[in-house]
Amino acid sequence: MPVATLKDLAKLIERRAGAVVITEEALSGDGADALSEALAVQPSWSDVPFIVLANDAATNRSDIAARRMDALRNAVLLSRPLHAEELIRAVRSALTARGRQHEARKRMEELHLREQQLFESEAKFHAITDSVDQMIWSALPDGYHDYYNHRWYEFTGVPEGSTDGEAWNGMFHKDDQEIAWGLWRHSLKTGEPYEVEYRLRHRSGDYRWVLGRAQPVHNEAGEIVRWYGSCTDIHAIKLAQEQRQLMLAEMNHRVKNTLAMVNVMVSQTLRQADNLHDAQASIQSRIGMMAQAHDRLIQSSWKETRLLEVIEAALAPHRTGEGRFSFSGPDLPIGSKQALALTMALHELATNASKYGALSTKTGNIRITWNVEQSDVDEFQFHWTESNGPKVAQPTRRGFGSRMIEQALAGYFSGKAELNYNSDGLTFSLSAPLSGLTL
Amino acid sequence: MTAEKSRLPSVLVVEDEPLIRMDAVDMIEDAGFKVYEAASADAAIALLEQHSDIGIIFTDIDMPGSMDGLKLAAYVRDRWPPVAIVIASGIVEVGKDTMPEGSIFFAKPYATSHITKALQDIAATMG
Repeated sequence: MPVATLKDLAKLIERRAGAVVITEEALSGDGADALSEALAVQPSWSDVPFIVLANDAATNRSDIAARRMDALRNAVLLSRPLHAEELIRAVRSALTARGRQHEARKRMEELHLREQQLFESEAKFHAITDSVDQMIWSALPDGYHDYYNHRWYEFTGVPEGSTDGEAWNGMFHKDDQEIAWGLWRHSLKTGEPYEVEYRLRHRSGDYRWVLGRAQPVHNEAGEIVRWYGSCTDIHAIKLAQEQRQLMLAEMNHRVKNTLAMVNVMVSQTLRQADNLHDAQASIQSRIGMMAQAHDRLIQSSWKETRLLEVIEAALAPHRTGEGRFSFSGPDLPIGSKQALALTMALHELATNASKYGALSTKTGNIRITWNVEQSDVDEFQFHWTESNGPKVAQPTRRGFGSRMIEQALAGYFSGKAELNYNSDGLTFSLSAPLSGLTL
Repeated sequence: MTAEKSRLPSVLVVEDEPLIRMDAVDMIEDAGFKVYEAASADAAIALLEQHSDIGIIFTDIDMPGSMDGLKLAAYVRDRWPPVAIVIASGIVEVGKDTMPEGSIFFAKPYATSHITKALQDIAATMG
């Protein structure tokens, strides 16, 4: 492309001309500064080749003319008169050199782009790993931990970099270190994914359950280049699981125990029954009462319940609204076993009273009182007193109720129980250490 | 009756649950045995020390106190080797190796007839 002035040439240079053929005279024209400027601001890869068609031999050239030539940086001189082939070869080699410069430029641009992508991808990686709730880490193929995200340092409270290498193992509960170490070594050796639950030291000093996982990343040759791992805080889940296990074990125990009690109650009822019809009625009423007792224990989460509640609930089916019962005493906590035993005993006493005692006539009353007698060992006393009922006769045979009360009830309270068949009314008393209520 | 009873070994029932203990005592007495009862391992050992006529111990596993039923069974096997051991528990997964050799296990709740049969079989081998 022909241009007439150095200014125009400078513009062409800016647009990255391939090579320039110029006469020496033209170099002294206007716009020499614009040309120098354009050449000076070329990118690092670029050096436009000049072919200068010289006037004279080098010896006759003035200093100014020589400097003008030097300012071109990358110039060859061709003396005139010109040989056509000389010029063609010179232009060709200048263009080839220029072509190489462009190749270098492309390569540099590619490298730069890759660098940029790498930088962005790393920034993205950090942004992601620091935004999740998990602790993230990476390790070299030999197991050397070389990266942890902020969450790890935030959780553990240790200084950045202090857990690099193998120091992470020291953050684990000492009972979990060996298993975690063993599994990690196994994964490093086999390339199998790593997964382990362990207790990790929190910055508070407490240990919290976490789930540790890691996966290897392979190169094209199938070799592991890095391990990426995470730790997830599963403390709440773990505790809930443990609690559920405890709860299930406790439930299982209670159900077994209840079935054993039912078993005893049925076998005892049948031993003393006059006929199957009576036995059926007794068994059904006793099972119903046990079921009610369990309802209350469920409501009070199986641990303990209140004495007043136990007494009221046990007597509820026997109350007619005529004010036959009166009771007074402090509302004390009572353990589940004692509550069940007392419920059964009260049920037996009330059933007996309905058949033969104070509740079998229109005038009879039952007074229930209990109190805590304070002494060296606080003593719990409980009394059941029937009055205004029919004359009471000593029974000829001991049924389940009386045997349960006299032999078993006291055992549940670690105390003494007594049934008295006084002729003016049956009395029952239980005395036990106060601690026996919740043993 | 008295003559027959004297030929049978006495049975020691160890059970912390009073109602279940009461029923176990009834059941074994009905089968013709003389029965001693204890609510804990410590009480059971005291009875064994006093009554040499005890030939069979019938114990629960899950009991409060210094020893549970398995520890008691091991102790009895060690100190009174001729005493036969019958274990009953609601815990079903009791390892055979945790019980003394020759002891018999029953899951709770148990059938009366199974227990009395086992006790009678033991009594028969004791002559």
